[in-house]
Amino acid sequence: MAYTDYLNRDKLMLTVATTGGVHGKDANPNLPEQPEEIAEQVRECEKLGAAIVHVHGRSETGENNSARLQEVNDAIRERCDDIIIQNTTGGQAVLEERIKGIRTDPLPEMASLDMGPFNRDRHIITEHNRHNIDLLAEEMQSKGIKPELEVFNNGHLNEVYRLIETGLLDEPYYINIIFGGGTFSIPSPKNVLNLVQNLPDNSKFNLLATGPHQLPLTTMGMILGGHVRVGMEDNLYFRRGEPVKSNAQLVERAANIASNLDRELATPDEAREILGMK
Amino acid sequence: MTCPYLAYLREGDNKSFDHERPFCGATESFVSPMQADLCNDRFDFHHTTHCSIYQEYERNTELETPIDRMVSPIDE
Ligand code: SF4
Repeated sequence: MAYTDYLNRDKLMLTVATTGGVHGKDANPNLPEQPEEIAEQVRECEKLGAAIVHVHGRSETGENNSARLQEVNDAIRERCDDIIIQNTTGGQAVLEERIKGIRTDPLPEMASLDMGPFNRDRHIITEHNRHNIDLLAEEMQSKGIKPELEVFNNGHLNEVYRLIETGLLDEPYYINIIFGGGTFSIPSPKNVLNLVQNLPDNSKFNLLATGPHQLPLTTMGMILGGHVRVGMEDNLYFRRGEPVKSNAQLVERAANIASNLDRELATPDEAREILGMK
Repeated sequence: MTCPYLAYLREGDNKSFDHERPFCGATESFVSPMQADLCNDRFDFHHTTHCSIYQEYERNTELETPIDRMVSPIDE
């Protein structure tokens, strides 16, 4: 995956992360939390070209609740044509909660797989140890769920190489490189280049950057032949001082940038092909 | 045991919602979903160990009592 892929005009997979587990409506009232409002926004994003949706479940109080992934999945299937559902298995809950992301019925086509822990406030995101990573990878492989490997910082790329050696991943490896504050990779163009250069062979990468870094670094990801994720999970502002009105607003901007860069968006079916899911 | 400053409210901090949400009485603001796990002592979290707001608030509240002001480490 590199600049040559951009020159080859490889199609771009656009992922929308509508909700996440970090922010609530108190931070931005337009953040969708309940199944119906999530599905409504996902439908708008699908119409604008999003091929994949990254999904979290929330309780009525807005708190994280993986048991509600089923309801969110059902609502998205009901409203959308063909968008690929990618459930979370991340967050700071215990494994028994997180594993619900790969036990919905029907199964999701994709799921996130965190490559290790990171810090929040005065604690770390718990239970992201190798035992649990391998266990999730094994269940995903046996069920034919494509993992998106979450590389929160440079060191997590080592874990990708380790996991490849275990044989628990199938090619192409789909790696989400993440930039932001805290213990994420430091958001800078140089660090993007560095991570992209160190990716394993036979991999595809997606770029995620939080807050004000979403716009410049996802644009850079597009130029480097990568795929991108946008959405309110990662960014609550459209521009400085202007809160995002909906996920569609961010998806539309990313789709326009891709179009201006002459990269066509992949349909969900084309995304399945790119990721070897067909 | 949940944090004594935690409440579930529909309104507060000049905001209102359709449903009750976790609200911190120490900061008088709604708390984020991840923070709410700490407030509720879910999983392996405990508000006394993991919440910096709780720790800070307790320290300051303690300092406000006359006896604490007299022996405050800050004054030493
Ligand atoms: S944020 Fe901290 S102080 Fe406030 S309710 Fe939660 S645990 Fe308690």
